[in-house]
Amino acid sequence: MNRIFAFTRRNIIELLRDPLGYIFCLGFPLIMLIIMTLVDQSIPKEAVTVFHIENLAPGVAVFGQMFVMLFTALNVSTDRSGTFLMRLYATPMTAADLTAGYIIPMLIIAEIQTVITFAAAFVISVIIGSTLSIGGMILCMLTLIPSALMFIGIGLIFGVLLNEKTAPGLCSVVISIGSFFGGIWFDAQRTGGVMLTICKCTPFFYCTRSARSAMALSFTGESFVLPLLIVVMCAAFMIALGCLSFSKKMRADLG
Amino acid sequence: MLAVKTTKLTKRYKDLTAVDELDLEVKQGELFSLLGVNGAGKTTTIRMLCCLAKATSGEACVMGKSCDKDKGDVKSIVGISPQDTAVAPRLTVRENLMFMCRVYGFDKQKCVQRTGELISKFGMQKVADSRAKTLSGGWKRKLSIAMALIGEPQVLFLDEPTLGLDVLARRELWREIESLKGKLTIILTTHYMEEAEQLSDRIAIMTGGRIAALGTLSEIEKQAGVQGLENAFVAIVEGSVQK
Repeated sequence: MNRIFAFTRRNIIELLRDPLGYIFCLGFPLIMLIIMTLVDQSIPKEAVTVFHIENLAPGVAVFGQMFVMLFTALNVSTDRSGTFLMRLYATPMTAADLTAGYIIPMLIIAEIQTVITFAAAFVISVIIGSTLSIGGMILCMLTLIPSALMFIGIGLIFGVLLNEKTAPGLCSVVISIGSFFGGIWFDAQRTGGVMLTICKCTPFFYCTRSARSAMALSFTGESFVLPLLIVVMCAAFMIALGCLSFSKKMRADLG
Repeated sequence: MLAVKTTKLTKRYKDLTAVDELDLEVKQGELFSLLGVNGAGKTTTIRMLCCLAKATSGEACVMGKSCDKDKGDVKSIVGISPQDTAVAPRLTVRENLMFMCRVYGFDKQKCVQRTGELISKFGMQKVADSRAKTLSGGWKRKLSIAMALIGEPQVLFLDEPTLGLDVLARRELWREIESLKGKLTIILTTHYMEEAEQLSDRIAIMTGGRIAALGTLSEIEKQAGVQGLENAFVAIVEGSVQK
């Protein structure tokens, strides 16, 4: 447990001292929150509901988590590219210590990011005269924990399989696809046809759907329970696959 | 008990034999240098002795513990400073050392004490709170060696510790390495003949994954029939290639 705590602490310090982390994990989502609120204020109220702050905030929170995936991949692939991990392999640290030490700090960062996003959304909602429900925000933040784990799992897999140059590129592709098919910037539910079918084939759609439902305090089976269940299953699968990949890579490195 | 003993230790990567039936004995407290051209098998040998690579065949023991069967025990008694300076770049010198203390499971008091000891030993007081990525090559190497010493190892592996350093930084690091002599067993790989001459109790010259010569400097010179380690090294390596 001490070794996991030591590695977690090291990773948090390294992340907090990386200026890019602030730009991508905090700055970019907050800028999008402000820009889309301005867009929402400039168009007829009934036109596009997805840009209303109560729908926008959960979407932007999911968008921000995608950058946590990018930083997980970068953190793991950078450690792998040097000999730092090799040094740790020669100590009593195990694969489980190392994977836990990568996952826990990213989950903490993802949660801090979510809290800051909702705090900013609350301030914006007060400014524009559309106060957000505190209970909805708290439930939404809790609902976003499995999706954070899912993105961290994907980041771990990319970090293990790719190097520090290719991992960010592939993560950018996932961020683009995820924000599009996740329905962050448009209401996927209203599209129908092939578009909705494609959206429903990606886990990102369910991340946004369950988060928006929690925010709206709408806990029906179709809008909340089923999407959340799908996200939980995807998170469990991605984390398990990430841990397995890391463990296998470690064995191969030591082969 | 020997610090290191290998018996017909072999490592193969597909068609390449990196280490070929290596028999090696290193006594406790010795500073032992492994020399060889690139690809001679020095780093692979060190990797197997630190449990960082699995031997294809043969056996390696460190302080009587098998690198295959007693990996946990071996890892707790060895320290390694890899070829690259394997440090956490955004952590300070002190934080890097504290991190390694925690990895070895030391309590808070021992972490502070051990970190302070090593900062003092390597004269790193003025850079103790500087981030590792801002340090010069020489300081990074010192930090890397200090990190390898955190766990109070009985056997320390230094893989090309002065590679890429300027002459002053290299001499300074030699003094630090010399100060460790006798307190623990040190196995050093290097391309600098002067370094091996200056520091080693015994030297092994590896070529093609095997030991071509082994002994003190004078024994190696005698075997090669020439004066100076560099001349002896060239004669032995070229002779072995011609064979």
